[in-house]
Amino acid sequence: MASPAQQGDDSDDDMDGFMERFKKEKYSNAFSEDNWEEEFNTVPMFMKTAPEDIDPMKHPELAAIQSIIHDDDRPLEEQAKSLKDEGNDYFKDKKYKKAIVSYTAGLKKNCSDSNVNAILYTNRAAAHFHLGNMRSALNDAVIAKKLKPDHIKAFIRGASCCIELKKYADAFQWSEEGLKLQPTDKKLLELRATADRHKRAAERDARKAKVKEKKQRSEREALLKSIEERGIKLLIPRQGPKRSSDVEDDGDGGSSKAMSGLDLDGLCSAEATGAKVFLDEQGVIHWPVLFLYPEHQQTDFISAFSETSSFMDHFCLMFGAELPPWDTNRQYSPHNLQLFFEDQQKESLYEVNPDTSLLKSLQHKRYFVKAGTPSFVILVKGSPFCEKFLSERKTHRLK
Amino acid sequence: MSAVMFSDVKAEELLSFLTLDTRPDIKGQATEYILGLSGNRDGCRFLQTNSDLIKALLTLTTDPSIAIVKDCYHTLINLSADETMHQLLVKNHDLIPRLFKNLLDPEYMFADRICTILTNLSRHMKTCKEVFKVMQEQNVGLAQIVDIFCTEGYNKQASLHYLGPLLSNLTQLPETRHFILDKERCVVQRLLPYTQYEASTVRRGGVIGTLRNCCFDHAHHEWLLSDAVDILPFLLLPLAGPEELSEEENEVLPLDLQYLPEDKIREEDPDIRKMLIETLILLTATKVGRQILKNKNAYCIMREFHNWEKEPQVIAACEKLIQALIGDEPEPSMENLLELEIPEDVEVKLKDMEAREEEQLKKDEEDRLNPDQAQQCAGIIRMM
Repeated sequence: MASPAQQGDDSDDDMDGFMERFKKEKYSNAFSEDNWEEEFNTVPMFMKTAPEDIDPMKHPELAAIQSIIHDDDRPLEEQAKSLKDEGNDYFKDKKYKKAIVSYTAGLKKNCSDSNVNAILYTNRAAAHFHLGNMRSALNDAVIAKKLKPDHIKAFIRGASCCIELKKYADAFQWSEEGLKLQPTDKKLLELRATADRHKRAAERDARKAKVKEKKQRSEREALLKSIEERGIKLLIPRQGPKRSSDVEDDGDGGSSKAMSGLDLDGLCSAEATGAKVFLDEQGVIHWPVLFLYPEHQQTDFISAFSETSSFMDHFCLMFGAELPPWDTNRQYSPHNLQLFFEDQQKESLYEVNPDTSLLKSLQHKRYFVKAGTPSFVILVKGSPFCEKFLSERKTHRLK
Repeated sequence: MSAVMFSDVKAEELLSFLTLDTRPDIKGQATEYILGLSGNRDGCRFLQTNSDLIKALLTLTTDPSIAIVKDCYHTLINLSADETMHQLLVKNHDLIPRLFKNLLDPEYMFADRICTILTNLSRHMKTCKEVFKVMQEQNVGLAQIVDIFCTEGYNKQASLHYLGPLLSNLTQLPETRHFILDKERCVVQRLLPYTQYEASTVRRGGVIGTLRNCCFDHAHHEWLLSDAVDILPFLLLPLAGPEELSEEENEVLPLDLQYLPEDKIREEDPDIRKMLIETLILLTATKVGRQILKNKNAYCIMREFHNWEKEPQVIAACEKLIQALIGDEPEPSMENLLELEIPEDVEVKLKDMEAREEEQLKKDEEDRLNPDQAQQCAGIIRMM
């Protein structure tokens, strides 16, 4: 503007002078031509988007406007409402965490308008819902319902949360209550149907599991009975600290206790396949059987050895066409093999005739099936290893 | 005064004793005597001679003595059980409105008796319309009735089981069916669980009667059988038993019928069993209904049921249903059996074969218009 020195002069001249300077000189704080768009964007009025966080140092004007919004002098209801609107805006932009912050701030105002508070809770519940915080969402819905028992959105939210939490009976209850207030609400009708469907599916699953369990139990009992009838003895492992709880839990008494002996196949074999002894439709028992080859520190696992088959049947299959790769001396041919089982208690070996059936061998008075998996030791007849092995142990040979 | 003297008394004199101000013992004897009269046809005719009787009875329902109020209600029940008395009852414009008012009162001790009266009154079409008219005038919505019916413990002193048959009777009217089958609301869905309500045969029968009547509206079959309502399991469950089915058979059944436990009991009342089957038969009248019932293995349930059922009438209904389930699909022009019109020349040929079937269909129509005789709609209490 006109300098003090020219104060006394004719104003027109001053004006001309001013206009001249105006055309030529840039005023301070002018936008530069290069980045005027950027600079425009820093003026609150012309901002296209607001920055995420308002730093009072960088955007003093924005910070000033913001503080007007959060002016502490206005009545609490208004403040709460503004915070609600703020939360809603964040919600619309899917910024759920920020929405929750705003809603929470609104609730902190503790204003007396229960309508606004109910809406704040309901909306916060929705925000939590979209973040996957179902429990928090449900809590907020419960409070909202209490504050405003006719707030339909609270019921919709409550029911939706319960469905996500798989509390179908509760979801059903919420939708029924909501429908009492608004019998034609489509969302509530849908939620009710969904909750009902899931509830009935869960009931059916429970029934199916029960039927299955009953079937398994009767199969187990039939199997144990068959084993017992054959005079086969199972070795029940001594109950260690881990297993002591089983004794209390056993609803069906002896049956599953006996079965636990049959389930421990994992302990025995490195090749545990989870194979279990079973009774087939013709009433024949099939056992998982281990063949041990101490000479070469090898084992073979036969997952289903029919009790009516003989060992020789299996030898011919296993060693008939091809000898195992670890049999470097090519000695393990079917008729070269000698078969024993170990009586752990008496630390002795009993020879078994390979032509006998598995059943017969298991019925030996000293045979105890360990961990549900009968095992047998196989040696090459007359081999040096065999002689040595047998001499180190008490052996009962076949006559 | 003894009962003997009462019989000589004319109706008007009798009436004079039926006021709130009468000496309690005379009042009591008078109401007791009238109750006795209402218990038989001749007595009713005698009472019919004076229309002020109803007014008097209605007034006395506000009497402080519970015994007197009870007698009045029982009298009204007996009167309502007799169709010839309906005009007399309806002539009193206060009766039905007052009954509804008390019915909706959750504290009202005699709500059950009111249900019975209203059920009796709604049994036949003519008075049923009257009852419904009053409901509309008094702004007693069907919604309210259904709501109360479905609210456990609404009235601590009354079970309100008879709202079931009342609803069933009201479904003679298209307005009621329209309301119950409203797709925008959740009405029929709320009634479905009651097909298994163990505590009351009356409630169960009422609901099933309602469902049966609604199934005459074959336009709604597809919706009723869809997931939105899913009526089928609720009709089959009471007929399903504890017999074990194979896994294949189970997996095809509706969810609620899969893997039923060995203590499952079938519906004990043969009339209700028959109604359930009739409802299912109605659903087989449309092609889409037949299709759905076949796909959901309804046959399996009915097969086991047939082996178990002993009542000849129910067996006959069961066989008819099974026939619909396993029979061949009718020719395209005969697909909707309810709309079937038999051309003259074919009629002669089919007459013999289908005479029995037509009879049954006609009987079904009759049942719709006049609720099942055996159903406990008329709660007649005859006290001499």
